Amino acid sequence: MLIGWTAFVFMFMDIRIFTVMALLGFSIIKLSKIPFKNIKPLTYFVIVFSIVNSAMLILITPEFGSEVSGQYTVVLSFLGRDITLETMFYALTLSLKYISILPITLLFVFTTHPSRFASSLNRIGVSYRVAYAVNIAFRYIPDVKDEMFTIMNAQEARGVAFRKGDASFTKRLGNFVTILVPLLISSLNRIEVVSNAMQLRGFGLNKSRTWYNQRHMTKNDFIMIATVLLFVGLGIYMKSQTNYFWLY
Amino acid sequence: MSQIVFDQFSFKYDAQQSPTLKNINLVIEPGEKILIAGPSGSGKSTLGHCINGLIPFSYKGAIEGKLKIGDLDAKHSDLHEVNKYVGTVLQDQDGQFVGLSVGEDVAFYYENHSVNQIDMIPRVETALRDVGMLDYINETPHNLSGGQKQSVSLAGILASSTDILLFDEPLANLDPMSSKKALDLIDQIHKNSNKTVIIIEHRIEDVLAHNIDRMIVMSGGEVIEDAHPDKLLHQDVLRRVGLREPLYIEALKNIGVDLKKVTKASSIESMSVFKSDIQTWFKAAQKSTLNKSEVALELNGVHFKYFKDGPEILKDVSFKIEKNAITAIMGNNGAGKSTLLKIISGLEKPQKGSVKLINESIDSWSIMKRSQKIGYVMQNPNHMITKIQIYDEVAFGLRNKGVDENTIKERVLHTLKVCGLYKFRNWPVSALSYGQKKRVTIASILVLEPEIIILDEPTAGQDFKNYTEFMTFLQNVKNEGISIVVITHDMQLALEYADHAVVLSKGQVIEENRVSNILTNHKVMETANLRGTSLSTLAEVCNIEQEAVFLESYIQNFKGVQA
Repeated sequence: MLIGWTAFVFMFMDIRIFTVMALLGFSIIKLSKIPFKNIKPLTYFVIVFSIVNSAMLILITPEFGSEVSGQYTVVLSFLGRDITLETMFYALTLSLKYISILPITLLFVFTTHPSRFASSLNRIGVSYRVAYAVNIAFRYIPDVKDEMFTIMNAQEARGVAFRKGDASFTKRLGNFVTILVPLLISSLNRIEVVSNAMQLRGFGLNKSRTWYNQRHMTKNDFIMIATVLLFVGLGIYMKSQTNYFWLY
Repeated sequence: MSQIVFDQFSFKYDAQQSPTLKNINLVIEPGEKILIAGPSGSGKSTLGHCINGLIPFSYKGAIEGKLKIGDLDAKHSDLHEVNKYVGTVLQDQDGQFVGLSVGEDVAFYYENHSVNQIDMIPRVETALRDVGMLDYINETPHNLSGGQKQSVSLAGILASSTDILLFDEPLANLDPMSSKKALDLIDQIHKNSNKTVIIIEHRIEDVLAHNIDRMIVMSGGEVIEDAHPDKLLHQDVLRRVGLREPLYIEALKNIGVDLKKVTKASSIESMSVFKSDIQTWFKAAQKSTLNKSEVALELNGVHFKYFKDGPEILKDVSFKIEKNAITAIMGNNGAGKSTLLKIISGLEKPQKGSVKLINESIDSWSIMKRSQKIGYVMQNPNHMITKIQIYDEVAFGLRNKGVDENTIKERVLHTLKVCGLYKFRNWPVSALSYGQKKRVTIASILVLEPEIIILDEPTAGQDFKNYTEFMTFLQNVKNEGISIVVITHDMQLALEYADHAVVLSKGQVIEENRVSNILTNHKVMETANLRGTSLSTLAEVCNIEQEAVFLESYIQNFKGVQA
């Protein structure tokens, strides 16, 4: 679904389609009842990213929109270059494009169980050693995070500044680098222990493995896959009928 | 047929000059329950790696002699073959918990052996039922305690239905109550399944209380003793290699009774035959000294919670820490010890209450300012050390403060001398042993000339020799005029070295007293979920009523004798 959606969105540069997709996406999010608190950081990140991206686009290639669309409407001149209305519209379309991918990505991140994802990756042909790495990453990221806070507390308690207002920004940045040494050493030790533990329990024994958390395909899954394929097909058809960049 | 046979076996790691294991001859029969003990560096973990196949498959090296496991010649088989016979529970509970949930972790063996999902699930449930963790099947490792994670690992090993269970320092990261539970569980599984159980551990007293058939003592890469614990306890071999004897055995030997009169030395109850000897000694030795001193740190009515509507982690905590003394803060995991530390060092602000340092309120002090007066030494030195050279690590705090290099040099060299690290001053930290690293972390705090040093579980995972050396060193630090706070659940440490103790339970101070009084106060010990030492049990067995005075007298007469 994620892939289908993304493929669909990437085929176009059409603000009408993106508006529909974004609205549809956010209503699914609403239906899924994921608390807004959880998705807040990622949502803001994408919005800020889109704004910065648009600003750069307008400043660096102020005439790009006109090149794509073939129309040339000057809005204002800046440092001897013309910024065209078409470019601004192009930037808006692009931003909406990112935003319309956002809800489905969020949905994927928050509803997919890592182990089930790993087992599915394995089923579609990815080697189980690679697939299991996904699992291991999800397992140990919180541990490493905890460890980082422990180390930070220890350093703070001996007078190293990490908090705003305690020291200059560059000094604090330098202090963050110092905690990388112990963090790296303990992570390397952890890798040794984890890989021993996994080997001792037979990881890597056979060419394939089974998955405790694997889900079997249900009727709904097949219907979903068919729907997604249908939409991607529809997209390809629509694309062949229209221009790449739709201008009002 | 014997299950494991070492025959003139030697092993040398490729990275090392001399062999780690030398001329091992050892036979282990099916169904035995064996304790392998030895000080750090004696080769006991390496021996464990040989049994579970990590040697030679993960750790490369040169093998001489023969090793047979089941009907395998270990030199010519592979790791997975060996692991059909041997299941291993490692020391690091987090490292071996690879699944994202309890059920998934137990299933790990089945997954790798391509057992299909329909057969897998009931077998996972059976294994979890055997260790009493079935109710937690969908929990994530983050919500489990160390002891619970270990039980899950054990279930994961039971799932593989091997004949041999190997435990590599299973108690290293557990508090006293979880240790007892873990050993009870191992005992129960041994009885029900009749599997061979091999426990590698240096906390001998805890393990011996759980029906050990045979004890193997290692030192310098060799097996130097192999006998029933009862026989071994009669000898002095444990002391000689730098291991701690059970405290009651140590006490009886110090008092000078003839232990050989008791055949079952591993059972403390049988020591009642020495009742009259002990009572005679106690009459002659009774001592009791109490001297009050100034207060270094004082907490007054401290309340704390992490979140506004979260539970209170600290409730009305008040206590005093004496100047120039060693104070132990005791309590099991979850009692609020680490939160208390954060309050004292200023990492967290209490919602109510205040902290005073030598009669001055420090509530408004920043973390930075506090760090100059209150030093904090974490349990794991690897979490503290950020520099490559020892000198730089110790100088770090002063440089951070902007002290000039000449003063730094003078103070760093002085501190290194105090800590017995002077000769290593130009070494990289990585060349030091664990105990030496621990000293480096203390040096890096001492150099700032604090009033108080707080140490979190300072001797965890260290063998008796290192433990004694380290605690003697701490006493010297105390004699330099620094107040020391030790956070610990090692009652023996508290009894031997602390002048005073504070007991924390569920965020409240439930007792503040001399350690001997706390250890003999059954109500306090029970509420705090702590376990006393076998010295108290010995006093009980010998009908001594003034238990606290007995403990006190013993420590004053014999502290350091065994070292």
